[in-house]
Amino acid sequence: MEHTVREEQGNLVVRFEGDVDLEHSPKAREVLLECVRGGQDVLVDLSAVSYIDSSGVASLVEAFQASKQKGTRFALVAVNAAALRVLELARLDKVFTIHESLAEGIRGGA
Amino acid sequence: MVNAPNEKKTLEQGASPTIAAGEIESAFALLAEMTRGFAESQDLEATLERALTSVAKHLDAEAGSLWLLDLDREELHCRASVGPNPITGLRLPMTKGIIGRSLAENTCQCVFDVSQDPAFSTKADDESGMVTRSLLCAPMSFSDQRIGAIELINQRGGDGHFHEEDVYPLQVLASSAALAIANNRMAASLVEAERARRELELAAEIQRNLLPAARPDPFPVQGLNVPARTVSGDFFDFIPIADGRIGFCLGDVSGKGINAAMLMAKTASLYRCMVKTIPSPAELLRLLNDEICETATRGMFVTMAAGVYDPTTGAIRLANAGHEPPVCHAEGRFSIFEAGAPPLGIVPGVEIPEVELDLNGGSLYIFSDGLTEAETKPGDQLGRAGFEALLPKFADRPLAGRVEAIVDSVSQLALKDDLTLLAVSDEARSR
Repeated sequence: MEHTVREEQGNLVVRFEGDVDLEHSPKAREVLLECVRGGQDVLVDLSAVSYIDSSGVASLVEAFQASKQKGTRFALVAVNAAALRVLELARLDKVFTIHESLAEGIRGGA
Repeated sequence: MVNAPNEKKTLEQGASPTIAAGEIESAFALLAEMTRGFAESQDLEATLERALTSVAKHLDAEAGSLWLLDLDREELHCRASVGPNPITGLRLPMTKGIIGRSLAENTCQCVFDVSQDPAFSTKADDESGMVTRSLLCAPMSFSDQRIGAIELINQRGGDGHFHEEDVYPLQVLASSAALAIANNRMAASLVEAERARRELELAAEIQRNLLPAARPDPFPVQGLNVPARTVSGDFFDFIPIADGRIGFCLGDVSGKGINAAMLMAKTASLYRCMVKTIPSPAELLRLLNDEICETATRGMFVTMAAGVYDPTTGAIRLANAGHEPPVCHAEGRFSIFEAGAPPLGIVPGVEIPEVELDLNGGSLYIFSDGLTEAETKPGDQLGRAGFEALLPKFADRPLAGRVEAIVDSVSQLALKDDLTLLAVSDEARSR
């Protein structure tokens, strides 16, 4: 798993690439929590995630809960079909705000 | 390698080029004593201190110290010392001084006169109040791992300086000490690993006891769990309730390892307690969700399907919180029941829908994603379609044997996760 963090119009955009699985989810968790703790709105780009397992989803859940406590925005953007299927099957689309694209995610916060 | 600036001095001193027989005996006696000490040691620090004392006496040194590397702090930590003013406990930067050089080069250092060596650091002298004139230092390493160094200061007799040949007894001590320290560390980590393994075994035993005991056919609900590791994040349960119906559930905690196993234990215990008084699966999962949300940590959650089967009518009431869709196989057709709510432990207060289905002589299968994600070949998962294709092969077997045969068959594949299967069969009623 690779990740990048960049700032775009006041949002922190975290992009993961590859497998967000048991081996890599501790790193994903650390990156996401650090972004949320900074107090900015966080958009997580899941377009290049090839596989996400329950431990990966748990790191998203934890960051989402932390942002709720902070009163900041946390959304998933450009989720690819495989990851979206995982989220929909578990009805996590009811939990997370999901935007079709990064641009929409940025607009969604305006 | 031994530094050799003092070779000339050594010869000038007039020592015989061949070592006297008495000295060889005394060196062997020292070697024997140190090696035996390390081999029999129960208390490494005390043995190191005794060995340091022996070698300091043998080389007639005024003082000596043994240093271990503390890589986290990038320091050398004095763990044993002999001499008029012990410096045990002192810490030095790991790159400084003659010791630093000895470690960096992994060579013995014999410094005839420290005032001529710019690398010499006075920190230990400042601490001990001694004045170092001459110094011997041998690094301790094991395989390619640096452990520390042993240093001796000032020879009492002769010209008060160390000479080349003095390095050898110190090198012997350093080598056997390094071996003893490495062995001691390895033994400690083995003991620790063994302790952790035993604790995990105990946790696994408690987990197995949380699962229901198998009931012989023709009991209409059966289940099996194959943990991917010692402990499992999956669980299932089934239990007859007061009105003659049978409550059942299957859950999968996010992640793996001991944290998942502990949340599994909590959820399974809460289910077992609640199912006796709350016959509605949706209501049970709703309460369970709120309970888990109160103490959830690290974003962990539980996907869970729970139901109640009525053996007199074949009806099942089923609720699914974020779990992989259960599959109903009846009259040769498959139907699935997708989750109506997110997994437990994420959002408190969610309503969880409940569906009623008629098994109509068929069977309902609930399973963890360890089953559908088992790989038929690298990168190719069994999937729900693969699972459904398996079912007709075993359909004519009695339920307990069928569940075992399906799990055996999937276990032949590459398992990525805990594998759990629960089946409810209405076939006994229809016969």
